[in-house]
Amino acid sequence: MMENEMKSCRNVNENPCNMCMPMGGIIALKGIAGSMVVLHGSQGCSTYMRRHIAEHFNEPVDVGSSSLNEKGTIYGGAKNLEQALDNVRRVYNPHVIGILTTCLAETIGEDVERFADEYKQKNGLQDFPLVTAPTPGYGQSHDEGYWFTAKRILVCLTETAPKHDRLNIVIPHISPADIREIKRILGLMNIEYTLFPDISDTLDRPHERPYTKMTSNGTALADIKTMSGAAATIQMGVTVEDSFSPGKYLKDTFGVPLYRVPLPIGMAGTDQFMETLQEITGQPMPASLAQERGRLLDGMIDSHKYNFQGRGMIFGEPELVYSITKTCLENGLHPVVAATGSRNARLGELLQPSIADGGEKIHILSETDFCHIKNYGEEAGANIAIGHSGGRYLEERAGIPLVRVGFPIHDRVGGQRLLSVGYTGTMLLLDRITNTLLENKHKSYRKKMFEQFYQAAN
Amino acid sequence: MAITKEQLDAILEKYPAKVAKSRKKHILIKDASQESQIIEANTRTVPGIMTNRGCAYAGCKGVVVGPLKDMIHIVHGPVGCGYYAWGTRRNKAKSEDPTKNFLNYCVSTDMQESDIVFGGEKKLAKVIDEVVETFHPNAISISATCPVGLIGDDINAVARAAQKRHGIPILAFNCEGYKGVSQSAGHHIANNILLDKVIGAGEQEAAPAKFAINILGEYNIGGDGWEIKRTLEEIGYHIVTVMTGDGSYEELKNAHVAELNLVQCHRSINYIAEMLEIKYGTPWLKVNFIGIQSMIETLRNMAIYFNDEALTKKTEEVIARELARIEPVIEQYKKVCNGKTAFCFVGGSRGHHYQGLFAELGIDTVLAGYEFAHRDDYEGRQVLPDIKPDADSKNIPELHVEADEGRFRLKMSPERLEALKKEIPLSNYAGMNIDMAEGKIIVDDINQYETDELIKLLKPDIFASGIKDKYVVQKMGIPAKQLHSYDYSGPYAGFNGAVNFARDVSMGFSSPTWNYIVPPWKNQPLLIGTVTEEGVA
Repeated sequence: MMENEMKSCRNVNENPCNMCMPMGGIIALKGIAGSMVVLHGSQGCSTYMRRHIAEHFNEPVDVGSSSLNEKGTIYGGAKNLEQALDNVRRVYNPHVIGILTTCLAETIGEDVERFADEYKQKNGLQDFPLVTAPTPGYGQSHDEGYWFTAKRILVCLTETAPKHDRLNIVIPHISPADIREIKRILGLMNIEYTLFPDISDTLDRPHERPYTKMTSNGTALADIKTMSGAAATIQMGVTVEDSFSPGKYLKDTFGVPLYRVPLPIGMAGTDQFMETLQEITGQPMPASLAQERGRLLDGMIDSHKYNFQGRGMIFGEPELVYSITKTCLENGLHPVVAATGSRNARLGELLQPSIADGGEKIHILSETDFCHIKNYGEEAGANIAIGHSGGRYLEERAGIPLVRVGFPIHDRVGGQRLLSVGYTGTMLLLDRITNTLLENKHKSYRKKMFEQFYQAAN
Repeated sequence: MAITKEQLDAILEKYPAKVAKSRKKHILIKDASQESQIIEANTRTVPGIMTNRGCAYAGCKGVVVGPLKDMIHIVHGPVGCGYYAWGTRRNKAKSEDPTKNFLNYCVSTDMQESDIVFGGEKKLAKVIDEVVETFHPNAISISATCPVGLIGDDINAVARAAQKRHGIPILAFNCEGYKGVSQSAGHHIANNILLDKVIGAGEQEAAPAKFAINILGEYNIGGDGWEIKRTLEEIGYHIVTVMTGDGSYEELKNAHVAELNLVQCHRSINYIAEMLEIKYGTPWLKVNFIGIQSMIETLRNMAIYFNDEALTKKTEEVIARELARIEPVIEQYKKVCNGKTAFCFVGGSRGHHYQGLFAELGIDTVLAGYEFAHRDDYEGRQVLPDIKPDADSKNIPELHVEADEGRFRLKMSPERLEALKKEIPLSNYAGMNIDMAEGKIIVDDINQYETDELIKLLKPDIFASGIKDKYVVQKMGIPAKQLHSYDYSGPYAGFNGAVNFARDVSMGFSSPTWNYIVPPWKNQPLLIGTVTEEGVA
């Protein structure tokens, strides 16, 4: 049995589980080759978000700001935004610029779409790819900000194109290591593709001399333009609302067939991705991937006796929460809480059929905060937390160990290198989970045995 | 190493003419032959220029108010603003009563679109009620974010009503992000409210012990404040309160009883220091706890102020003992650091404070600057009368205070005070520029482009700044030292802090990791010529 608790009756958000819309928008735009982002609003927004992204990826994160101040709130911010674009173009020479709005710009009613048209006219830049996305912080969470901006990139840049054989692979916000793994799988299958948006290099660059501000990697503008002619779109986004869905947009506007699959995490999740690839392309699964699948199965059997002792609280962006919850379920680890700070009704709907009737309750929380996650988890006897580093307080206050995955990870290094997708990635994720359970068990094993059998006997 | 005016002009030339004209006023090459070198500061950031500056909310909630540990700090606004200021400053706190330490909490009203349309006052009032019920804090702060001011939520009225309802102090800060030109506006807003509503609210009329002091502008990053306290308390000082690292509402409300206020970060707290002198007659002393010599000088200046034989003796004893203990340790690090150069660009005071410590390690600061300082932080407080308020600074309310009839008390005769001012930096800050050597570069509000270009010209061995520029600098093959959050290290203040800093900086230079990275100039021959049998041609 499952329970889908919506937002609680409390008004306060105590230790938030999510960030704001423009944060997700920046991530999506950083996945486009040669792109720069300008936030239209107070400079604090861009400074705070640069700081948070830089600390997760350990990379330079340049995001411009129109630096609006009190005067701008009265007379409008067009002049500041114009100056910001001029300066960003001059110093970075970007091939694409994304303009994201903030609370301030939206509250005073800035029309950035019209501004962008006028700016292009005025500067003779009719063909310059300028993407606009209204992303007020009070709108929705960073998850919707990511998807909505990704869709806006297509709305602004994709043109009608002749049919071609490439597949569109639309991905949620996952680690650069995960993206590279998906590309490796596609490579093994000999599939031509456009992966969108691709932060695997832009936010995880090798040390190179000389250092250049811009990299040519990321999803190429030319590929984005012709995503309309692709054989099909595979969108790893089952929790995404239609109105934000890039795949749905390509289907409705250009008739590109859409396959919605979850993130390839877990046995069933990865199988579904592989089957979809085979169905569309007619290519068989290569032997090397079949071996990886076999090793995952072997490892799952080895670990099941430990995993079944786990009672997990899973939280973060809806797409990741969905796939990790399913992975826990297929390994006997009971998810007592599956939670997201975003307002997402689909997560609950989707998890419903995967839980057999009569099973133990799962608290599915949407629009929630860590106060609720902790309370529900503790009550249900959770002994492992899986999610981003916002959950470190669960570890500190409730003694529930945290397996870090997702974004942001600020209290450990290597969030960008965490591999969790595909058969191999799933095995690595599962090992991290199993070993955390084991480590926690062994920490107090001798003491518990002593108390239970020796002290109790005397 | 220095750069010429021509080289500087070449950097600025790349800007559009208007931007170049503006940025030129923010950059100085130190020239001691000029009587005063004016620098432009605390003016609007050029849009799109990749500044390191933040917003008024960051300065108010993030810097000044946030560290007060026994309060719940409600961020009235969308969830992001709260999230981004959650534990990011690394100000540590411990509490005798663990149920009154709320520093790890992030509390937001999580405004939604409907709150923007219909107003957020009712939700804020309910959040206050829930917070009181859940946490029982000693006081509550409400920090406004951008939309709050724009939609006209009256947070002051909500705070007043809630204070009546719950009987605990509830402070409203109108620190919307768009106010002023940087964090600095938020410092000022926070200073005004803390002075007006908190300091003096306590009932103490006299300090409970001799040599009572407040430490202002010390935020206990990585435990700095604890290391400073260790030495001051051993010497015999009674610390009434720290503003605001490891500070609390309960202590702050009695700050008026101190005999002397120490000012570490002049930029973020000088308003309170100045107003405390007017209201209670307590002078302030500009101190610097960063670096061994600065620490010693600070301790001696404090002893001069209190003019007590036993205190002075104890001061010298502690200095001698600490020096004997740490000097041999520092010595080994000096060998690694000696002869190196640094860029030191930090918020509003550390750009100055760390130069002495760098120098003690044999590191020459070739460029320094502040993110959000004012002219007085560069040129000294004597320029204050010359600074004309512009439209942005006029938007920040000035709090006018008068002597408190019951509590104003001169701490010494006016004659002695005047004499002391000639001897120690009492109620004065001479600024950073005076301490910089000829030819050194001073940059206000440096941006990414200028950072890159100046690094190419000056090739510093270490770059001390924040997390946003750290990774670019490291990509360029130069070690970076975060001086906002200390890269999860610290404390760096006081005697032990100097050792920690020396260790961390040395590690930055000597980590074997760097052996894999060859700076471009090492691949190029230093001498071009041919070797023949007869010798070098």
